[in-house]
Amino acid sequence: MSASLPSTSPFPFPRFYNFPPFFSRQPTLQTHHSQLRKWSTLILNYCRHHRIFKLSLIDALDTELLYNKSLDKRMGIGEVREVVEFMRKEGRAEWAGEGGKGVGGNEVWIWWRNPEEWASLFYEWVDDTAQKHTVLTLYELTESEATISQEFHGMDPDLLQKALSILVKRGKAQVFGQEDQQGVKFF
Amino acid sequence: MSRKGVGLAAFDRSRITSAQYASHGNSLRSSHSTSVATQLSVFRSLLQQFAQTHAKDIRSNPSFRAEFARMCAAIGVDPLASSSGAGGKDGGGSFWAQMLGGSVNDFYFELAVRVVEVCGASREENGGLIGVKEVKDRIMSTRMEGSSEITDDDILRAVNTLKPLGSSYSTLTVGPKIYIRSVPKELNIDQSAVLEAAQVLGYVTVSMLMINLKWPRARAKTAIDDLVSESMLWVDMQCAEWEYWSPGFMLGTGDDG
Repeated sequence: MSASLPSTSPFPFPRFYNFPPFFSRQPTLQTHHSQLRKWSTLILNYCRHHRIFKLSLIDALDTELLYNKSLDKRMGIGEVREVVEFMRKEGRAEWAGEGGKGVGGNEVWIWWRNPEEWASLFYEWVDDTAQKHTVLTLYELTESEATISQEFHGMDPDLLQKALSILVKRGKAQVFGQEDQQGVKFF
Repeated sequence: MSRKGVGLAAFDRSRITSAQYASHGNSLRSSHSTSVATQLSVFRSLLQQFAQTHAKDIRSNPSFRAEFARMCAAIGVDPLASSSGAGGKDGGGSFWAQMLGGSVNDFYFELAVRVVEVCGASREENGGLIGVKEVKDRIMSTRMEGSSEITDDDILRAVNTLKPLGSSYSTLTVGPKIYIRSVPKELNIDQSAVLEAAQVLGYVTVSMLMINLKWPRARAKTAIDDLVSESMLWVDMQCAEWEYWSPGFMLGTGDDG
């Protein structure tokens, strides 16, 4: 997992990023579908590269992800929403907000790993490092130096809760304590 | 007064002459064909020797392979056609497959499978029309390192091997560029002209066509719209006049990725 260090290196954009029509909604259904798939791949790879868990669409519009400066082409908010909807149907994104009801909202979870996958990743890591039955603070899990080489390092606390609650449901972990002082024990 | 036989005897004479000609022709033909048959068998054994000695080169060296294929074509032997010949010449395997232990055939058949994969995977973005060079680039990019190089020529031969399957794969020349078409769709003259124009800058606009091809607006618009609806052109709406891009340029520019 050497590639999982937070990379400051620039993201290697795929070739179609430099294809001007890529930023305009294609009128032909088949072409549009191909376009959506390419965008979906691009967003997932980009977020994985930069360890972005939750994407704010409005803010992203001016980043290199959705705005190709050298071509001076950009994605509109409507087009991005369409891409997100497409990703959601593929199980690779979810609208953030109250109960996932924020459809058309601004913030969106990008599941380059979905909560299930995160949950098993946590579990594997705890298993590998022989920390079962040890109490770990949530801060330790995602912010301490011990996990700096892990993909979940620096994870959004909301997502962390989601992933842990999956393990709790399966009886593989127990979360206790108050806000900010929460700890977790894996079984 | 006896300049020419105009009597009945003339008929006899001409009949005799033609019979003589025919018999002479027959004997010529038979002697010719035996000599050709000997030549052919000699040639075949030589070709066989050659192919066996150089089978490895044929497989691994693209320029050698191309030369070999060209030589075969020049003397009227199509390595691929003769291998798919119905019934196989010498019992089991074909003449060619026997010669090379199937390696040349296998090479092209394997390549053909890759071509079909690439065409299938990219059909959505290009409407089933893809440049030979793009196919080659895509295949090369997924190949393992150290594997032998392939050329445009190899790709075209591979596409030809698909013909006996009755598939819709065929090649299509537009301007200087050769495309592989994987959907049974004919382009009309206007559409070909638009695609050819799009090869120059990567895109066309309606007014470009109006100026350069002296087309009325409606004609330019129709040709473009048809191609767009076939996924053969992508629209860039973020410019003064809409630009219609050829998806081939998606691979042609920028970095790898």
